[in-house]
Amino acid sequence: MESVGADFLYGENNMNKLIMFHGRECPHCKKMQLLVDRLEKETGITIDRREVWHDEKNADLMRTKRDLISAKCGGQLRVPTFLNSETDDVMCGEFEYEKLKEWAIKS
Amino acid sequence: MKKYWRCFVCNDIHYGLAPPDICPTCKVKNAYIEISSHEAENVTFLNTEMDKDTFTRAIEAFTENNDFQVNPDKEKVGMLLEGIFNNEKNHGLKYCPCRLIAKERDEDLKLICPCNFLIHETYKEKEDGECWCGLFVRRK
Repeated sequence: MESVGADFLYGENNMNKLIMFHGRECPHCKKMQLLVDRLEKETGITIDRREVWHDEKNADLMRTKRDLISAKCGGQLRVPTFLNSETDDVMCGEFEYEKLKEWAIKS
Repeated sequence: MKKYWRCFVCNDIHYGLAPPDICPTCKVKNAYIEISSHEAENVTFLNTEMDKDTFTRAIEAFTENNDFQVNPDKEKVGMLLEGIFNNEKNHGLKYCPCRLIAKERDEDLKLICPCNFLIHETYKEKEDGECWCGLFVRRK
């Protein structure tokens, strides 16, 4: 299996610094995707969406940030998780649109 | 440290610090022997695969005498069951679709549905508590 490390995360590969880790069959993720759609439309900000249960590269990428994410997400890797890969700002679960926008804009 | 135990009469598998005195399946006394995780896996895979309907009936029965129930939102439950069964097919066990395995056995076992959500901050001491994925909600 190909491992994914910091180079992949921070390298010059046109990767967006704002990442949403999500699961295809996760209802919370489905709800938050709608808010991300709205955010992208209203602000022009884009979020790199990474599905983790059906794409092992994305799963490995999320696991490289396990310490950071689990500290904010009940000690586990939970989805949806929103990560700013530059500031390491993490939020997880379902929350209001304004909170998502605040997270995205302050980045 | 938890270990695997097998009832030598009916092949019931128990995972814990010690085996039960009486096998809950065949009711025989002192019938458990310690086995390897490999043997436990092999014995478990001998069992017939469980389909979604059977699993749904099993988790409904599991909630009957508890202060939680299966979420009445059928659409949400349908999506979660799809994920749980896809995870079993693709990753070997019925993992929660709203979390991700860390590839560490002990940690990953905590993600098998139903998990011990009673200790989760999304359920504990919350009037409208639910497990992280929302498959189980506090009974009203």
